[in-house]
Amino acid sequence: MIPDWMVGATHPFDSVLVANRGEIAVRVLRAASEAGLRGVAVYSDPDEGALHVEVADEAVHLPGETLGETYLNSEAIIQAAKDSGAQAIHPGYGFLSERADFARMVSAAGLVWIGPPAESIETMGDKISARRRMIDSGVPVIPGEELAISEDADHLGTLAAAAARVGYPLLIKASAGGGGKGMRAVHEPRMLRTEYEAAAREASAAFGDGTVYVERLLTGARHVEIQVLCDSYGNAIHLNERDCSLQRRHQKVLEEAPSPAVTPLIRAAMGETAVQAAQSVDYEGVGTVEFLLSSRGEFFFLEMNTRLQVEHPITELTTGIDLVQKQFEVAAGMKLTIQQDEVGLFGHAIEARIYAEDASKGFLPAIGKLAMWRPPSTPGVRFDSGFREGDEVTVDFDPMLAKLIVHAPSRKAALRRLDTALSDFVALGVTTNVGFLRQVAAEPAFTNGEVTTDYLDSTSLSTFSEPKPENAILVAIAAAASRFGLDRTAGSASVTDFDDHTGHTGDPFRTLKRSFP
Amino acid sequence: MEWSVGESAKKYSPTLVDVDGKYTLNRLTEDGSEKIISKITITKDDNSRRLIIEHNGTIQYAYATRVGDQWWIHYDGRINVVNMHEAGSKGSDAGEGGLTAPMPGTILDVQVKQGQRVREGQTLLVMEAMKMEHRILAPNAGEVISVNFEAGDRVDMGATLIELGD
Repeated sequence: MIPDWMVGATHPFDSVLVANRGEIAVRVLRAASEAGLRGVAVYSDPDEGALHVEVADEAVHLPGETLGETYLNSEAIIQAAKDSGAQAIHPGYGFLSERADFARMVSAAGLVWIGPPAESIETMGDKISARRRMIDSGVPVIPGEELAISEDADHLGTLAAAAARVGYPLLIKASAGGGGKGMRAVHEPRMLRTEYEAAAREASAAFGDGTVYVERLLTGARHVEIQVLCDSYGNAIHLNERDCSLQRRHQKVLEEAPSPAVTPLIRAAMGETAVQAAQSVDYEGVGTVEFLLSSRGEFFFLEMNTRLQVEHPITELTTGIDLVQKQFEVAAGMKLTIQQDEVGLFGHAIEARIYAEDASKGFLPAIGKLAMWRPPSTPGVRFDSGFREGDEVTVDFDPMLAKLIVHAPSRKAALRRLDTALSDFVALGVTTNVGFLRQVAAEPAFTNGEVTTDYLDSTSLSTFSEPKPENAILVAIAAAASRFGLDRTAGSASVTDFDDHTGHTGDPFRTLKRSFP
Repeated sequence: MEWSVGESAKKYSPTLVDVDGKYTLNRLTEDGSEKIISKITITKDDNSRRLIIEHNGTIQYAYATRVGDQWWIHYDGRINVVNMHEAGSKGSDAGEGGLTAPMPGTILDVQVKQGQRVREGQTLLVMEAMKMEHRILAPNAGEVISVNFEAGDRVDMGATLIELGD
């Protein structure tokens, strides 16, 4: 049945298949449930019994071992939608979310595609065509050499000549890259070959396309991105910025909204430019226009992500707008009901990405079983995750375990809330970056809001080493835990009424089909 | 039973005294020598898997769970691992001087040869795991005793990639 809020829409749907896994699948399926839509999950073998399968109304198994056979298998996913009677497909982020051909296939199958038009994805997905379109639309771009280098016989000569014209330091980027993969900084000419080969290898391994190009590396700049929201009638607004300057090797670590570096004037200019960029590709739905913001307040277009972003919750908390609900509305062909001047900015939000990785060992991904998993749950804390206690963290998928998001009236209060929430987070059995995040968030560079994109990579990691309790206490706890037999009773605790997620017994907020990760 | 904390090789032997279901740390030796300790008392919170720690007059909760021979402990906002060792065991013999694969993955590039001298921090080989490149660096200066894989090989977690001598 079509939910009441969608009645009268031009492309109504009553159900949605989420072509993804992990926290984002959980997030979207929960939004579907709240919107009165039937939610359908897909899953591959390692995800049998995963949280996103549990929260769905129905789940379709994708046979096969590789991602290509499962979460990246367009045909199988569209067939799953047909078999389960799902009328719309939400791609989440990653996987098929930025594949124009998939968007076309979904529409051709008579299903509603919850995303931008295939042409928008195509133009923005190729970094070179995106750059050209931005230049044509008057959007400022980073100074660089618009030169596509294919992996042919003389690629190094061509690359070296272009690099010399652009100047060092420079950035080699895979045209099809993203998420830090296929992107390499080159600080001096003698490193050009090594870094180029690494970028090309990473890009062809992750995206099946080894084409790369070069642009000037702006140092001392911030990564500031604008959330845009467009309907299919040409209406477009922006929902303020997010600052994602705290990165490690181009992977975001902490994100916040609003940006400590953005004044109302910059916000208005950047927002307007982002809307202009989105409209130049006839964008629909939610999208993100990424900029580099220089210390002098100039900003340059980086790229546009034509999908829901990992860090979308900080925008939701500071604007009060549910972005997934908006995606449903736009996909159904409904008009935007908010005007630009109605978009508010309330308080401050920070997101910390919780990774299974060992910061003390060069951030190597960690694996294992989440033997104990008690996320913080206090007012002003949002926790998005696809994992539960007892789940296995494997090498099959991305090492992001969860997103811990805090919201408070001011940046200072948000920082305090973040530290408290991270210190309350009990994640045992798998090494995580929680301790590292606490240290980073407490560093004056971050608390003063002065972090630029090169901060983490240029700071000695020993700066972030954690204070440790006395060994005597830790040994005493372990010995006492052994004597108390905590290793034998661990499994039986769940037999009682005790609620693993909130720490309360007989939790009145825990209802059927709802599992708060 | 002996205990060690994290990566440290120091071995601890605690003596706990049980008084009415409360354990008090009475003695502690570190590598065989007596340590001066402040008062630590630990009780079990029956309602959950928590422990109540009294230390220097303050009370804090700790969560502890055992995974293999490790106790993972959440205490004072930090997570630490304490390892269990059978008393008298020689400790970890995991590849002294050997560099092991931290993750299952594929070797992309081997940058050193057997017999070569390397400096601390030098890249020995590059491997790919979870679609990202990881460089395996020399933890100290030394001579390469053996190189066990070549580019293109798939390796399991823990496989000894390169052996390094003095």
